[in-house]
Amino acid sequence: MHPNLSFEQAPPISVPYRFLLAAPWFGVLAGILLAWVGGDVLGSRWTPEALALVHLIAVGFMLQAMSGAMFQFIPVAVGGNVSRPLLVANVVQPLLLVAALLLVAGFLFGAPALLSAAVPLFLVGVGVFAVVVLLALWRTPATGMTIWTMRLALAGLVVTVLLGSLLAEALARGLALPLIPLTNIHLAWGLGAWALMLVAAVSYFVVPMFQLTHPYPLWFARGFGPFLMLLVLIWSGLWLREDTSLAQASGVLLATACAAFGGITLWLQYTRRRKIDDATSLNFRVAMIALLVFAVSAALMAVQPQWAEDPRATVWLGMLAFPGVFVSTISGMTYKITPFLNWLHLQRLGAPIAAVPNMKKMIPAEAMTGQFRLHVLALGLLLAAVWLPALTRPAGLAFAVSCAWLGVNVIRALQNYRRFRDQIRASVLHH
Amino acid sequence: MTIVIDGRELQPPEPMERTLAALDKLGEGEDILLQLYCQPHPLFNILRNNGYTWTDNLLADGTREIRIRKSQA
Repeated sequence: MHPNLSFEQAPPISVPYRFLLAAPWFGVLAGILLAWVGGDVLGSRWTPEALALVHLIAVGFMLQAMSGAMFQFIPVAVGGNVSRPLLVANVVQPLLLVAALLLVAGFLFGAPALLSAAVPLFLVGVGVFAVVVLLALWRTPATGMTIWTMRLALAGLVVTVLLGSLLAEALARGLALPLIPLTNIHLAWGLGAWALMLVAAVSYFVVPMFQLTHPYPLWFARGFGPFLMLLVLIWSGLWLREDTSLAQASGVLLATACAAFGGITLWLQYTRRRKIDDATSLNFRVAMIALLVFAVSAALMAVQPQWAEDPRATVWLGMLAFPGVFVSTISGMTYKITPFLNWLHLQRLGAPIAAVPNMKKMIPAEAMTGQFRLHVLALGLLLAAVWLPALTRPAGLAFAVSCAWLGVNVIRALQNYRRFRDQIRASVLHH
Repeated sequence: MTIVIDGRELQPPEPMERTLAALDKLGEGEDILLQLYCQPHPLFNILRNNGYTWTDNLLADGTREIRIRKSQA
């Protein structure tokens, strides 16, 4: 940074890093579980192993990474300040970590006590996080669709966790609730109103900025979030009324909305001003292709219900959504967030601009693209393993190694931050 | 004199690096015109904390024209 300039108070670097460091290892656990169990574990979404797997990704990998990214994204992208970020992170992260492990163990070992134990931890962890982040988003003077869409995403997270808690308690206590409709509603809120909504909010900002594309069309950025939320509400209402045929029709609309977001993002990438095929762009491209395949598959299953009768069909959708769309997007974002975090915090140390290493020196490009290639291989194997159980073990192994490589790349970024920080401090002391 | 920085085809943090370097050279009565496709909140915070003012104008093609000068006060 310019030696005479003072930087604003953004969260300490340890706040986002602790979440981003933890996230990939949940993916490693998911891969190991898949490789360990093998066989026909992907034959249905209702097996204990499948439920454990999906939650290792959803409340382990995704929730850790997405919460950590929000701590960093809010000050940088929307100019808001999360109050007492260190304290909040100290409370929220361990709660979510332990809650995720308890929930997964509860599914895996069929232990109602563990499911029940996870519920209050999720409610407190997500509750504190949502209140603090909503306050930051409310107080910011900035305007724009990123902020509005993030607010919607946060509402989506809260409803997802409330529904998940209800389902966990229903399983643990044997409550007489309509589990299948409630699970479908929980999924739509988690994947649509929370995860895809947050990806959209972040994409409006980072896709043009980091991938040098044109901005998202204003009509789309204004309409997509509210439209997606409306569709999730309609979907929920129809499933609550157990009106399966109309619910499936609304599923076609949901799939179309997903396809529109995927298609527009791919179009922006295709027509971008400068072609930079770094690990972030490539991960986004894979994610958006997975989103399109998800949307087409979901729409086909809605109009041809006999295709959805095979329990593997829903697992196929899950594979496209979790590792396909969200692990890819989060990996791509991690490869921008961590170098940018390093750069921003190194700037604050008071060295001249030229003394702060370039963002590209924070994680070697070949380590990121190498990990990306392995992720694509793992994704291909996972999708194939849904239909060919013989591939389950290699798919799990490839996914575990790919996530471990992502985790190592994040550790390496942090090590480089510390090395450059020590170098800059030493040079500042000498002058 | 106006220092123009077209950051629309630069990957972050290059636009910010160029702007911080340009602040060094900014004389009385001069300004910086920074063109971006987003609102650079980290830069706004630095400007706010260091006695600079700016205007932010959104053009029809999505370009944000951010004009920076030293605060009069």
